[in-house]
Amino acid sequence: MRYFLICFLLVSSTSLFTYAQSIGEFMGDERALYAETKQINQFIRRFNGEEDIKGERLYIKDKDYHNRKLRKKYLDILFNLKNNLLTDELKETFIDKVLDKKNPIYINFHGGDWFAEVRTIFKYHGKEQTVILFLELQEERVGSKWVITNVYFKPFIDVLDSPDTSEYNDKKFLHPLSHELGFMNLFRIFNDPDSIELYTVNEFKPDYLSIFLFEIKNNRLIFKTVAKVKFHFFQINGWYFELNYFNRTGYNTGWLISNLMQINKTNKEILMKYIYHE
Amino acid sequence: MKITSKYSLLIFLAIIISLGFEGCKSKKNVARQVAATEYAQKVKKAKRDLQAILNDDGRMSIEEKEKILNKTKALNLNEPEVLMMIREAEDMIAKEKAEAERKRKEKDKEAASKIKLSNSEMLDLYFNQIASASSVELANQKIIDVLQMFASSGIPVLIIISQEGGITDYDKPTTIGKYLNYLKDQKKNINAIENIGYDNNGKIIELELIKK
Amino acid sequence: MKKIKFLLIAIISLTISYQSFAQNDISPSRKKAIDSLAMEKIRDLSKYISIIGSKETPFSEAKRVIDRTLELFVEDAQMGVSSLHRDEVKYYPIREYLERLMLLNYDQVTIKWYNIQYISDLELQPDGRYVGVITIYQRFEGTTDDGMIYMDTTKKDITIYVERKQTQIGGKLIGFWDVLLGDVRVVETMK
Repeated sequence: MRYFLICFLLVSSTSLFTYAQSIGEFMGDERALYAETKQINQFIRRFNGEEDIKGERLYIKDKDYHNRKLRKKYLDILFNLKNNLLTDELKETFIDKVLDKKNPIYINFHGGDWFAEVRTIFKYHGKEQTVILFLELQEERVGSKWVITNVYFKPFIDVLDSPDTSEYNDKKFLHPLSHELGFMNLFRIFNDPDSIELYTVNEFKPDYLSIFLFEIKNNRLIFKTVAKVKFHFFQINGWYFELNYFNRTGYNTGWLISNLMQINKTNKEILMKYIYHE
Repeated sequence: MKITSKYSLLIFLAIIISLGFEGCKSKKNVARQVAATEYAQKVKKAKRDLQAILNDDGRMSIEEKEKILNKTKALNLNEPEVLMMIREAEDMIAKEKAEAERKRKEKDKEAASKIKLSNSEMLDLYFNQIASASSVELANQKIIDVLQMFASSGIPVLIIISQEGGITDYDKPTTIGKYLNYLKDQKKNINAIENIGYDNNGKIIELELIKK
Repeated sequence: MKKIKFLLIAIISLTISYQSFAQNDISPSRKKAIDSLAMEKIRDLSKYISIIGSKETPFSEAKRVIDRTLELFVEDAQMGVSSLHRDEVKYYPIREYLERLMLLNYDQVTIKWYNIQYISDLELQPDGRYVGVITIYQRFEGTTDDGMIYMDTTKKDITIYVERKQTQIGGKLIGFWDVLLGDVRVVETMK
């Protein structure tokens, strides 16, 4: 792998050299920029072997398109190499699966099963607070678009997630003959809003996205800015990986796999809940 | 011989008699006869002139032919043969005129294409000068100069970016005024001249460029 | 019977949508031409920025160049800037960004390009236009009167909108690519 990195940088430096001679205004050492995985688009091209080592786009008709050796070289450097939790063993198992000779795996921008997690800042009750938005790519009749699927906002959770169970509340229900009283006993519920969930159906689950929209439309939540983006990939069967942007010096930069896990159906659900803060 | 002299004698007598009996009438007759002779001569000349036009092998100019034809026509000779010849001459002159016009146009075209060639070179020179001008003022002066070649500063400029499988892709159309300022600002002349269209005054009304 | 009818409709609608999609595919060589057209617009932008930023540019010229620069963009495009120390994005409308630059009055503005760029695929968006992102790296150097130098190296992710349009010019039907720049994300980098 190290060999590839050297090769990769060598090729890039020679090609830069020729450029540097013809166009004087350009800067010196650009190998780090060259090595950087600059966009998710480039991550996908490198992962699939759709970009040659000179950085040129490969098309289906090109000889090296999806070339296994090329992919192997790229896959080795598409990980955050400064993360000790990403063991070589785990990476190798993953790469073996992806580069299976009979059944190689490619990732697809429009293939679904991946989504974005965006940390944003909103003003709420006079205070700047973090809101986490989850977005996925939705296919449309023409083209596609990113849509918000879910939101995590701590103040909502604090209010809605855990009904007050501090006092044992086997008395907190509307008795079965309430209807005969014209539900006059409803007053009891609303005087004690903390445990209001106890009066709802068993399946009740708060819909935070609706509340989020409601608060925005009422001008109580005001967008300030975007802070951080990452991506969660479940597209490869039995695997999960996370993509993060690494803005640092060196050659292992840009959009890289920062987290990798082998998952089955059960722990996929657990993981999803973890990501969604449920 | 005898018979002829007898006849001439008879004619002579007849003339004497007619002169003797109808003096004024005979004067009119002479005039008519003279007119008839003149007319015959006119017809003869008209025919000769028209024939000359029709037989011309190129020595006579179209203008000369027209002049003769018009003169002949002005005589208003009501002779079928003459009228026929006039029509023939008219046809012939019309044909010759059309041919001459075609030749003239061809010549003009040739000359125009010569202008085009040098215009295209001149434009490219201007473009380079504007792009490499040492000051904004100099570039602006050049822009004023080169705009003289155009019908207006709003003349459209098209830039071809790719040609593939019969489809030509252009950049968004711009105007010469904007394009010249673009050269000035960007200090680069990256498009070659592909086509120039002119109006009747020789001013450019269409400019097509292609990415070098 | 009903089922068959439904299936038939489904198949027909599928082929129609497939066809319209296939028509939207742009061949690699045409894509390349569009890419280089878009790159040219970005180079133009950078040149305009250095003209606007330079003190040598007369006010009237700078104003004119700002208008020309804005012609490169879609309406309401924003610059979203974040620094090394703060991930959070600060927003500047393009016009505001340019006008600030004009008022800063650097003695000299140099924008150096790194010869590395990345051009994404063009993706079709619901309104039928294509969208792409071009990533470039630049080093900005502004020298003020008193010799102070402001300098940064940034990664710029620039949105490009690409639309195939037709127009009639001199009786001729012209097919052209309308390439406009959109939001620009500016990230300060370590390089």
